[in-house]
Amino acid sequence: MALTILQGFLISILWLAVLASGFSEDSPTDRRVLVLLDDFAIKSSHSLFFKSLEIRGFDLDFKLADDPKLALQRYGTYLYDAAILFAPTTERFGGSIDAASFLDFVDSGHDLILAADASSSELIREIAVECGVDFDEDPAALVVDHTSYAVSEEYGDHTLIASDDFIESDVILGSKEIKAPVLFKGIGHTVNTANSLVVKVLSASSAAYSADPNAVLSNSPTLIGSSISLVSVVQARNNARILISGSLSMFSNRFLRSSVQKAGSTSKYEKSGNEQFLAELCRWVFHERGHLKALNVKHHKVGEVEEPSMYRIKDDVEYSVEVYEWSGTSWEPYVADDLQLQFYMMSPYVLKTLSTDQKGLYYTSFKVPDVYGVFQFKVEYQKLGYSTISLSKQIPVRPFRHNEYERFIPAAYPYYGASFAMMGGFFVFTLSYLYTK
Amino acid sequence: MTAFMGRDLGLLIVAFCTLAWATESIFHPVSQLHRSAALEFFSSPDGHFGSLVDTYEALRTFQVLGIQKDAKIRTSACASVLETLKSPTSDTKHIFHALKTNSLLTCEINHEVFWGIQSGLTDSLNGASALLDFYYAIGSLVLLKDQIPEVSLNEGDANRIAQSIKTLSQSDGRWRLNSNNPESSFDAAGMAIEAIAGVISLSTSEIDPNVIDALKNDVVKLFDGIQRYDDGTYYFEEKLVDAHGYQGPLSVSASVVRGIAAFAAVTPESLHLSDEKILGLSKYFLGIGVPGSAKDVYNLIDALACINNLKGSIPLLLSFPASVISTTKNNQVKVKATNVLGSVIPNLSIKLMQIFTKGSKDGSVIDQKLKYDHETEVHVLETLPESIDIGSYIFSFEAVFDDPEEKKNYATGGRTKVPIYITGVVSIDNAEIAILDSDSESSESVKLDLKRENAVSLSANHLQKMKLSFHLTTPSQHSFKPKQAFLKLTHESGVEHIFLVGTSGKKFEIVLDFLGLVEKLFYLSGKYGIQLTLGDSAMENSFLRTLGYIELDLPDAPEKAPRPPPQRVDVYSRYGPKPEIAHIFRAPEKTAPAWLSNTFLALVIIPFIGFIVSLFGLGANFKAFPKKTTSAAFALLFHVGIAAVLLLYVAFWIKLDLFTTLKVLGLIGAFLLVVGHKTLAYLAAASSSSKLKSS
Repeated sequence: MALTILQGFLISILWLAVLASGFSEDSPTDRRVLVLLDDFAIKSSHSLFFKSLEIRGFDLDFKLADDPKLALQRYGTYLYDAAILFAPTTERFGGSIDAASFLDFVDSGHDLILAADASSSELIREIAVECGVDFDEDPAALVVDHTSYAVSEEYGDHTLIASDDFIESDVILGSKEIKAPVLFKGIGHTVNTANSLVVKVLSASSAAYSADPNAVLSNSPTLIGSSISLVSVVQARNNARILISGSLSMFSNRFLRSSVQKAGSTSKYEKSGNEQFLAELCRWVFHERGHLKALNVKHHKVGEVEEPSMYRIKDDVEYSVEVYEWSGTSWEPYVADDLQLQFYMMSPYVLKTLSTDQKGLYYTSFKVPDVYGVFQFKVEYQKLGYSTISLSKQIPVRPFRHNEYERFIPAAYPYYGASFAMMGGFFVFTLSYLYTK
Repeated sequence: MTAFMGRDLGLLIVAFCTLAWATESIFHPVSQLHRSAALEFFSSPDGHFGSLVDTYEALRTFQVLGIQKDAKIRTSACASVLETLKSPTSDTKHIFHALKTNSLLTCEINHEVFWGIQSGLTDSLNGASALLDFYYAIGSLVLLKDQIPEVSLNEGDANRIAQSIKTLSQSDGRWRLNSNNPESSFDAAGMAIEAIAGVISLSTSEIDPNVIDALKNDVVKLFDGIQRYDDGTYYFEEKLVDAHGYQGPLSVSASVVRGIAAFAAVTPESLHLSDEKILGLSKYFLGIGVPGSAKDVYNLIDALACINNLKGSIPLLLSFPASVISTTKNNQVKVKATNVLGSVIPNLSIKLMQIFTKGSKDGSVIDQKLKYDHETEVHVLETLPESIDIGSYIFSFEAVFDDPEEKKNYATGGRTKVPIYITGVVSIDNAEIAILDSDSESSESVKLDLKRENAVSLSANHLQKMKLSFHLTTPSQHSFKPKQAFLKLTHESGVEHIFLVGTSGKKFEIVLDFLGLVEKLFYLSGKYGIQLTLGDSAMENSFLRTLGYIELDLPDAPEKAPRPPPQRVDVYSRYGPKPEIAHIFRAPEKTAPAWLSNTFLALVIIPFIGFIVSLFGLGANFKAFPKKTTSAAFALLFHVGIAAVLLLYVAFWIKLDLFTTLKVLGLIGAFLLVVGHKTLAYLAAASSSSKLKSS
């Protein structure tokens, strides 16, 4: 009896430990996900999307966005590893949560999926703006495309868009090509040109525009052509990932199951690309792909093993680092040919591409420059869709010691010769001077 | 303040426009989509569904959808039904589910088994106080009655049970699960109504009319608590979201519908349910589309089946296989009149009552009867009214029964308004582009064929204008104004400018006066690509065409001119490896070549050799070397010491550092001082004595 109580206690302690650990490289699996909804009907109308997440092991916690008991953290620790905001019309969150709470949530490394829709609230727009995404300000505007709309019996106003303008990135969208176009019905956004962290994943065609489909245009629309982004992702500097979509219905069962035929195209697909697109994208957002970690940074002189505390100018140095990518279940060796090392003081003195053994180990060797000062070994790796690797290790470089200079300089031989001849002469002279009679 | 008012006014206008446009979404009856979803969710490769509840839900869904069930399912399900019914430990809940499954399968079960459980059920019914106990016991007895018609409740019992269930009801139409629990729910209300309906059907005589009236009142109150979406769908949702055992709106609405349907089946009178709400409820279920779990599929399908049997208010759905009507393909407006489960309702005709043009409130009255096609079971509008050109419209249809009496059975919801898009090919003629000199006539004018890409090349300076014009006509030779008529100029650097192409009657024309546009174009001279986009939902040949390019020669930008916005860096080029950097080492100092140094080394050595040779030539000798042993030893040591110092210098050059050298030098120096003194003192003494001798 006592034993079972003890066991239960241990299990609960273990479970608490699991709960408390948020996102970390040691266990980069986001498992607890907060899902905020406008209306519980979304839970059933979007159930295929939620189910796909649950099957992959996510623990979804559904809450109404205006639930007064809503809380993101308790006693200073976050209760969730990620959040899904499917509450486009919510004007204010329940509890003491506001837009800033979600930004703090992201700032502390948690992931976020945000879906806006026509008539999105200021609150949702505010969060999006803070992430570098500007939704069309006109509340009645929808993305309209008269050339690449989805042939539909229901939406005759060409607001149901079939887009296949994906970003070319295997790490974000998976290596398997998404053949069927993705159905989208909602509002468009632009990404801030100054913000390099936002990436358009799904763009509108160049004939698209964003306006109220029922009104006559009096001014040229602000969002137009392929600068309209339908779905964007953000990877923050702390590697938190955010997915922003202008359409909530693109996650819905109806769109996931719908067949799709793009206007002007003869090929009709049984199923829209939404399911594959969203599954792959969520895999990326939840760090199941493209999350790198670097281990075992080593450097030493050629022929030695120990890491010195200081290098001398013109030393030959070997540098190595191991890089692994999280595959959702384990850390796999990361293979690439564009990892670069910088030997850096104010600006890079040496920049070299690292060689790899294809098993995660990257290495190179170089000669320390003949400039002394405090240098850094720097690996700044940024690649579309991958988490940033930023390693730096400080190391001082000293000049030659007084006895490390060259001693036998041929050009100086006449001077040496003169000195030694003088010395020889002196010796001979003393003998002859002292003893000649 | 005014700003706020202006904003509010704007919102009001938007709200009014929305209201004026409030057409209900189109709802389609249960379709193949639901069937495939049901087959997917209720898949049983081994003919086994798990618990009896799951089995019942699967079988019920299959029954409603008309899906043939596997014989294997029947065998295994019947075995488990029989096992549950025979087991003395089964509680009423399990018996209830077993009987429900049996009612669908009609397993071969001995009547004695039924009699065996009947007494147990009656006992538990008499001892029941909680709603669920009543619900399961009464439900089981009702199902038993189908097997053995003798099962019934006497009048006293029936009234007593009905009363005790009734005590659990709340004033807002919701019910509590038991008398100790203050929480009430719609879900419980559905079960309670179903249970009382069961009591009524089991009762041997007329039940107290007060009970029935009270229950009718409850139903009315229940429907007062229904929620509404903007698109005209109605649903029930629990107010207490956090309550334990929370049920989603789908299962709650399904539970209420089951209760209402059971009640409507046992009362001879009508329940006077609002047609709008019943239609709204069924649209809610249909609007969900395909739910995500087996439970939801069952709730949805079962609720729809229950609504479909609702006496006096069977929802009648007008569905539209197509709302986009292409004039080039000779599509026709088709209407299907069905119940929610998709079976066609006969003996009625559909009338097109009104057509509204988008944007106007008043519609033209048509009142045209649609032709019924017996083969495809659809009502077809054979010819569109004369006045209808391509564009978007709202058609208003009404169902008219051949026999007016039959209308009472159905909830039709009055007129059904649907957006209909009539599309066609718009012809584009007289397209031309020209560069105009000030206001005079065109200097060069190029005809364009907008059916394909063009590649005109124009050039203009800031004093000239560019003019683009074309005509658009609909298939019925009316002028057409598309929603999207954009002219886009794209500078080489990627800066884009959009201009709306305006219309004057039939003619579309845009004149770009570059003098007024220089600032907008950021004074950027160079090549501008010209693209024209024409698009409308009614225009089948919407397009985006490149017309060519124009070489603009604009004046230089003044200092305070606005700068073009920064262009977005291409994501693919933003990352990627940087060019390698190799450190360039300082070149070693330039020194003389070795042969030169060696020559000079030789030259430097020559005087030394000359010195030695000349010493011998002059007759240098060792005659003065001390003869005495001690003095000779000191002299020898003195010279060895000097040689040691000199060798030390050689060693210093070769390997020693300054400190070692000085240390050793100190020692040798001290030694030299002693022996030097001795030697030199001896030599001095010797020389003075010889001087004395000579003098």
